[in-house]
Amino acid sequence: MKHWKSGAAAVAAIISLGVAGCSSSPDPTTSSTGGGGDALTGTVTYWHAYSADSPEVATLQDTIIPAFVKLHPGVTVKDVPVPYDDLHQKLITAAAGEQLPDLVRADIGWVPELANLGVLEPLSDSMPDFQTFADQVFPGTLATNLWKGTYYGLPLDTNTRVMMYDDSFFTKAGVDVPTTVEQLVAAAPALKQAGAFAFADNGAGGWNMLPWIWSAGGDMTDPDVTKASGFLNSAASVKGIQTLVDLYKAGYMPDIVLGGEGGLATSDGLATGKYATILDGPWMFPIFADQYPDFTLSTSQVPAGDGGSISVVGGEDIVMTQSSTNKEAAMEFMRYLLSQDAQLAMAKVGQMPVLQELGSQLSDINAYYAQFVEQLKTARPRPVTPAWAQMDTILQDEIRAAFRGEKTVQEALDEAASQADALLAQYN
Amino acid sequence: MNTNNSRGLTLLVRYVLLAVAAFVMVYPFLYMVSTSFKTRSLSLGDPTSLWPSEPTLENYKQVLGTENFARYFLNSAAVAIVSTILIVLLSAMMAYAFARLDWPGKRVFFTLIIIGLTIPTMMLIVPQFLLARDLHLLNSLPGLVPFYVGTALAFNTFLLAGFFEQIPHELDEAMAIDGAGPWRRFWKLAMPLSKPAIGTCVIFAFLGTWDEFAWALTVLNDVDNRTLPIAIALFQGQHSTSWGLVFAASLIAVIPVLIVYIVFQRNFVAGLTTGALKN
Amino acid sequence: MSISRTTAVTPRSAGGRARRPRPRVAATGPRRDTKAAYAFVLPGFALYALIMLYPAIRTFLLSFRDWQIAPGKPSPWVGLDNYIQAFQDPVFLNSLVNSAAYTVFTVPLQIIFGLGLAVLLDAKLPGRVGFRVLFYLPVVTSWVVVSLLFQYIFQSGDGVANHLVVDVFGLSSENVSWLQSRWTGMFAIGVLGIWKGIGWAMLIFLAALTAVPAELKEAAALDGANAAKRFRYVSLPAIRGALSVVFILLFIGGFNVFISVLLMTGGGPGNATQVPLTYMYQQAFSFLDFGYGSAISFSLTVLVLAASALQYWWTRRRMRE
Repeated sequence: MKHWKSGAAAVAAIISLGVAGCSSSPDPTTSSTGGGGDALTGTVTYWHAYSADSPEVATLQDTIIPAFVKLHPGVTVKDVPVPYDDLHQKLITAAAGEQLPDLVRADIGWVPELANLGVLEPLSDSMPDFQTFADQVFPGTLATNLWKGTYYGLPLDTNTRVMMYDDSFFTKAGVDVPTTVEQLVAAAPALKQAGAFAFADNGAGGWNMLPWIWSAGGDMTDPDVTKASGFLNSAASVKGIQTLVDLYKAGYMPDIVLGGEGGLATSDGLATGKYATILDGPWMFPIFADQYPDFTLSTSQVPAGDGGSISVVGGEDIVMTQSSTNKEAAMEFMRYLLSQDAQLAMAKVGQMPVLQELGSQLSDINAYYAQFVEQLKTARPRPVTPAWAQMDTILQDEIRAAFRGEKTVQEALDEAASQADALLAQYN
Repeated sequence: MNTNNSRGLTLLVRYVLLAVAAFVMVYPFLYMVSTSFKTRSLSLGDPTSLWPSEPTLENYKQVLGTENFARYFLNSAAVAIVSTILIVLLSAMMAYAFARLDWPGKRVFFTLIIIGLTIPTMMLIVPQFLLARDLHLLNSLPGLVPFYVGTALAFNTFLLAGFFEQIPHELDEAMAIDGAGPWRRFWKLAMPLSKPAIGTCVIFAFLGTWDEFAWALTVLNDVDNRTLPIAIALFQGQHSTSWGLVFAASLIAVIPVLIVYIVFQRNFVAGLTTGALKN
Repeated sequence: MSISRTTAVTPRSAGGRARRPRPRVAATGPRRDTKAAYAFVLPGFALYALIMLYPAIRTFLLSFRDWQIAPGKPSPWVGLDNYIQAFQDPVFLNSLVNSAAYTVFTVPLQIIFGLGLAVLLDAKLPGRVGFRVLFYLPVVTSWVVVSLLFQYIFQSGDGVANHLVVDVFGLSSENVSWLQSRWTGMFAIGVLGIWKGIGWAMLIFLAALTAVPAELKEAAALDGANAAKRFRYVSLPAIRGALSVVFILLFIGGFNVFISVLLMTGGGPGNATQVPLTYMYQQAFSFLDFGYGSAISFSLTVLVLAASALQYWWTRRRMRE
């Protein structure tokens, strides 16, 4: 990598004569690290993906940051909003150019990848009070920050999928709302009679399929995330997926699971009585309130199988970069973001807190949170590995092949497992 | 008589064809306009109902009231104007040299330009980022200009070279005999005669830089420095997007581009070259 | 491309190959103005070389390595492995087929419609400016917005496209799941590309048509040629340069199609509508395999260059006959 810089520097020296006036002043991130709490100074840059004009960004900019600055007047917090779809690419490019900010609100799936690149600060080592925070958060959310025995971040906000349905539809169809997978399968014909698919989902990746695998008692990898064979293709995992494939083949699941755009979205299908149940997250409530104000959205736990009712954890973590020149202040801001005040402020605008303590208070903020809090108690993260992006794609392709009948579920999961093994081997 | 009728008929046929074609082309745009006047636009409504039942200016008010929106607009304008001028100037000069002059190495240089046409810019983003970092052009609004100009040169040079080719050589000879050097011939002959081509170049260059998103997003962090496409992209949420808002913002962003287009397409008027030939 | 033509033509042999009659008196052909030429070319070329060629060379070099993004991590040399992998990769090979199909579908139609519209709008028509603006609107509308609308048009349910196919034209008895399979998906993406590109092609053709000297058209009209003949024998030859330019640019653009595919289908479902550049993007930015991503894009570049060179050589041969 070194020859890049010398070559570029030589060219730069020649060209800079001609590019006068185009130079910029770099971000004044001073490197003073105040010793204690009120001696903190400098700038902390924080990248996030809250959209413009959203209540989240308003809360961040008008409530949280000013409150923090009040406590630490010497610190300036610069929040940089980045469109969500492009944040990952911007992070990777910045990592390559060593231009990362101090803090990033990263999707949980990116943390092991960034940690593996070596650009994240190992918080469990360098943050003295790390364990205090670790103990306060939901275990599933903390696990998303673990890579090779070290924690590289803390959870910031979380979410999970629960089962969503229209109560009045079930009443009309004369069917009890299913709480187990068996009941769902049994109810499918009656629901079809009433004009709806029993269950609909728009993908076949980890986010979609893992609740079914886990609830059936299966798993994707071993606990240390070193291999998938023996786990992904275990009898329990196969059973979990087979249930869905059978539903699809019998005509009780729509083909949007095969992917591709343009099909009837899960939310629209639910609202119009075409889908009886879907799995989705807390953001659906504001969306339904806006799009379908007359519709009452009901929720319950993910249908239980032999392994219980286990859903998948989503959300974002807050990570600090190794290259940060103002780590003390950044760490302090991180602590503030995990304080009850900040977490509650965000909870009011739809960002579920990660602090377990706040669980009971959440239903006061939004009644619908209760179901998610319950599900979060057992919810698990997707395999925490830099290979996840690729594994997810493989899983999706293989399972879709099973749906299309090109291979059996066992064959599909065998193939996915062996490919996943090869990928995981790179990191172990 | 007959000729009048047939001329009237051809005119009518032309208009009908154009009107139908225009409707098909413009329909999605009309749909955009229609949605921008609706609230409750998290999912797109019926495409056949173009007229919103309760039209509202709410989206526009919200967009225009968004913090820094005017700032982004002006940033984009500044970068686009400066870049366009440089692109047109440098491309025209290179195109002229390729199309009208004979010199050793011409083929080599031109081949290198063609290669630039085939290179997808997305692939270059990381090395370009490293280059920008080494040149200290990161996070800087003026720093966008060299990159925008550099990436647009191949296309515009190729385009203009094709047009400069069409200028009759006799005119060049005539001026050369009068003692005019290449620079004079460039300014007094090639440029004025190529007004349609230059106009095209201006339109494309402006549109390209005004709309550019990926690079601007990658290098700009400071909110003050950001450009309009970034602002529009930020209206899209992670889980849901209010499309009326995005459409309203996009429509506002389209206005300068349309103005540039309307102004410069005036050059597409026949008869500019006739006078020169007679001379 | 006519550049080489001028260098190939020496002053005395103009009579045999030139398409326009040239006066025998003055020396014909371009002049040797080396110093001036370099003065014209170097400023732009230097910037171009710095911003485009230098990074391109860097990217090319890293395609021979298992390139690691993390600064400081060594990037081992793997030679041609990335390229070998690419040409054995069914996804990459299919993506080449997809972009070839896209190009074959979209390029002729954009040229035909763009040229047709330019011809219609070249004449003195009241309201001409209005029409020119209307046809240009698709070009200026952002890809994000347009892709969203086209996804909506091509939705698998009762969207506009299905309404046309099933109800209006009766081409199918069931709704088509456009974006959920390979060829219907590529078709939809192609329609989007054509729709967005017609105004662009129209613009270039308009510029070229207005440069056709009016006297030539008048002379042909006086000779009794009707509009179609005038177009074929006067305008068409005169805009040959523009036709060639548009064709090459659209051809390259077709193979390099990226943003519309990314936004419409993301390359899915399951790599069915993947094109080389979306595949490259996934490999480089999602899977962090930059070496492989570079190999993919350079393979594409070389193929497109070879195809363009072939096409250019072939049209030159035809023009000489």
